[in-house]
Amino acid sequence: MVSKKRKTKKPKFQSFQDTILNLQKYWSKQGCVVLQPYDMEVGAGTFHPATTLRSLGPKPWKAAYVQPSRRPTDGRYGDNPNRLQHYYQFQVLIKPSPKNIKKLYLNSLTTIGINYKDHDIRFVEDDWESPTLGAVGLGWEVWCDGMEITQFTYFQKMAGFECKPVSVELTYGLERICMFTQQKKNVFDLLWNDAGIKYKDVFQQAEKEFSAYNFEHANTDNLLKIFNMLEMEAKSLTEKKISLPAYDQCLKASHVFNILDARGVISVAQRAEYIGRIREITKGVAEIWLSTQTE
Amino acid sequence: MSEFFLELFSEEIPTNLQKTARETFLENFTKLFEEKKISFKKSLSYSVPNRLIILFDGLAKETIQNKEEIRGPNINAPEKALEGFLRSNQISKDQIFKKQTEKGEFYFFNKSEKKIKTFDVLEKNIPLILDEIQWKKSMRWSDYELSWARPLKSILAIFCNKTLVFNYYHLQSSNSTYIDKEFENKKKIFKNFKIYKDYFKKLGLIIDHNQRKDFIENELIKISKRKNIKIKINNRLLQEVTGLVEQPNILSCKFDKKFLHIPKEILIITMQYHQKYFHTLDNKENITNEFFVVANNKDTKGYIKFGNERVVEARLNDAEFFWNKNKGQNLVKQISKLKTMNYFKGLGTYFDKTQRMRKLGAIISDELIISKEKIELSSSICKVDLISDLVGEFPELQGIMGGYFAEAQGFEKDIALAVSEHYLPSGLESKVPKKPFSIALSLTDKLDTLVGFFGINQKPTSSKDPFALRRAALGIIRLLIENNKEFKLKDLINYSLLLYQEQDFQFGNSSVQKELINFLLDRLKYYMKEKNIRPDIINASLNSFGIDQINEIYRKSFALNKVINKEIGLDIIASYKRASNILENELKDQNLELSSTTDPNIFKNDYEKNLYKKIKELRKYFTNINKDEDYDVTLNNLTSVKGVIFDFFDNVVVNDDDKTIRKNRLELLQMLCKTFENYINFSKIESV
Repeated sequence: MVSKKRKTKKPKFQSFQDTILNLQKYWSKQGCVVLQPYDMEVGAGTFHPATTLRSLGPKPWKAAYVQPSRRPTDGRYGDNPNRLQHYYQFQVLIKPSPKNIKKLYLNSLTTIGINYKDHDIRFVEDDWESPTLGAVGLGWEVWCDGMEITQFTYFQKMAGFECKPVSVELTYGLERICMFTQQKKNVFDLLWNDAGIKYKDVFQQAEKEFSAYNFEHANTDNLLKIFNMLEMEAKSLTEKKISLPAYDQCLKASHVFNILDARGVISVAQRAEYIGRIREITKGVAEIWLSTQTE
Repeated sequence: MSEFFLELFSEEIPTNLQKTARETFLENFTKLFEEKKISFKKSLSYSVPNRLIILFDGLAKETIQNKEEIRGPNINAPEKALEGFLRSNQISKDQIFKKQTEKGEFYFFNKSEKKIKTFDVLEKNIPLILDEIQWKKSMRWSDYELSWARPLKSILAIFCNKTLVFNYYHLQSSNSTYIDKEFENKKKIFKNFKIYKDYFKKLGLIIDHNQRKDFIENELIKISKRKNIKIKINNRLLQEVTGLVEQPNILSCKFDKKFLHIPKEILIITMQYHQKYFHTLDNKENITNEFFVVANNKDTKGYIKFGNERVVEARLNDAEFFWNKNKGQNLVKQISKLKTMNYFKGLGTYFDKTQRMRKLGAIISDELIISKEKIELSSSICKVDLISDLVGEFPELQGIMGGYFAEAQGFEKDIALAVSEHYLPSGLESKVPKKPFSIALSLTDKLDTLVGFFGINQKPTSSKDPFALRRAALGIIRLLIENNKEFKLKDLINYSLLLYQEQDFQFGNSSVQKELINFLLDRLKYYMKEKNIRPDIINASLNSFGIDQINEIYRKSFALNKVINKEIGLDIIASYKRASNILENELKDQNLELSSTTDPNIFKNDYEKNLYKKIKELRKYFTNINKDEDYDVTLNNLTSVKGVIFDFFDNVVVNDDDKTIRKNRLELLQMLCKTFENYINFSKIESV
């Protein structure tokens, strides 16, 4: 069925890297600071300080960036066509949320090859919550022909603090979007660039090795110790009123926790406890950050 | 035309919040008009994801404000209160007067009769009514103060073709609204609802949600008929989808037939819950690979159909991968993995739970006369599916997946079914297990849960029941009643407590048994109420029997409730009440010791003899019936007393001068009442 479709029309697919470039260009034109990924393992684009910390406080802020995101438990050794322990999100954060954000968003889709007039774009209720970040938001999952391609969220709370003004966060799932626009059933078949390099050429080995690390080889005794050390470091930095380096410790702790989780050494009851600990230190950091953000 | 037309344009509002908004606004405007005595002919509310419409037709243009004495603050209240009173009524100090009331001395003022314009009432009150709404969840956006379900963008408000002008937070009302929901570039003026409705109709929008729902339903039925497949429309899904679209377009799609071998529950959940599709069945009620998508756009290039088919196949691919992996993973070999899975703090791991269930299940199997070994095995494996990827992906399929794994691994059918059904029933409408092993395992699981959570004092409060204990208790009630089974619940609770003790769990609650029995009886009460059994019958039966007679309580109440307003019921109550009223009156002021029998030798007439004979007959009936009592027959027997007892009352004076005779007659009546009470304590039943 798929091969038939390909014969009948041969649309020019946007490569994975072009999709990123086009989104960067588009949001740059909207006045966003185009940043590079945060240089640390994070679970989602939201964890980048350009979102978490910048969404707090009264100062306006507009940023767009791609963020490699790691979810150790989602690893499948590179065997599953839809799941990865490392994938890309494209993240936009605007504070305060602009009145015409829906229009801006729909136009951004056009630049990556999705014309809303030809598709069924739906805004489906999705209340977002991150227990680790102590964050709450309301918004939607944006569906394109039944597939979730973006999370569209108005932040209400971050690190336990009320967001005032409210930021809007757009999180594009880049692999999903490209699988959609390139009409691929397997993420590893995505065209990375126009020179024939595929997603698998870039990442399949990494998926295999990191899955093995996350599920089998990570030294849990050490990681448990590291978690405690990071927590101590975060607390001590917080006491010294240094917010950004303290936040880095939260990010590291969060990733260590995710690996421990993937290794299956954290029970259900412990899980809540660890998440609570990360939330606590993040809250401490956010409080200091907020105190630096007066207009 | 005196039409009040309000449109609230916002970003996409979730279906259930649309419903709340439609109902609340309609209600609150109606209340306002009633309060102000403004009549109207018709009121309507409609919604699409971006638009909420409130409409009052034939609304009176003016109303008379009645003369009224309005009470202000107490004369001793602070000056500020008085100022506020003056301000809100737009009056000056010389218009008020003091008056003494029961509650003290207050300021008053006489509001005079005057005409007020509906237009003014609306302009003043719309913002107040908008502010009154309580969203289940609401949000702020940008730097505005307003809190709404999703960003509110524009307010169109018209009365009698005239624009109602008011401010609501950062917004100002007007006679126009956005006509392109995507970009919000274009605004258009509308003079009334008809023009508005016709305009959107031409664009293919169905503003009326009821009409939209009917349209989707009819299309779904029409297309399935044409394709000769069956469709069972899930009403909740239909409601939800209706709230997600404004110009529904039904697309008929397919997925690869190879996925049909995956358990159907996975297919249904994937389509229904995750994707909001309608699945279809063939003539043998088997699920087919055809499904319907309700899109919100015309599929001019075929992208929408193609896209949806790909999404569902990707999801099913994932599920198939897990299914193939999990179904072969030996359930028995995985039991020990439950040791690392916490059930609840203070109640051990899932392994601990299944060990307790093995023992409790064994006792229950004795009562049901089924194989003890099989129920032990079922208990051991029933929670193993919690470790599987599939239950990780589809938590709502816990149990069901375990059943499939057990079947795939060659366990006996009744074991697989028991595992599959052991979370059932999960509410008032849910299916109830009917097979003995399923009943036993379900009962075992629920009892262990209830005893444990009550033991550590994690009991539900009036508003919160995070561990669904009410549902578990109701599950037990339904299991018993709907299978016509009685269990010695009191003993089972005690045994379950013992099992926790054996595992060295210390409970903070020392009255688990008593509290849990009351909790279960309370659920029984709720269940009976839901079955429309009269409250006095419920009380009477609960008063007569205990926790080990749940089934009997229900069946007797049900049988009596069925006839309570018919001749049979009325006769029974009348007979009983005539006797009990006399007894009560006679015994009230006197210190009379009645014995439990009467002396037939001092009967004076046939009426007494006949009544005595009848009572003896009834007593014989009650001693001879055993567990399979037919309650309809019992009630018929009780009715048959009526002639004899009425004859007795019509011809015999109980209050005889001879004290011995009087006592004897009262004893006879007491015997009658006690005999009746074999069925139920009729004294708690209200006579008509």
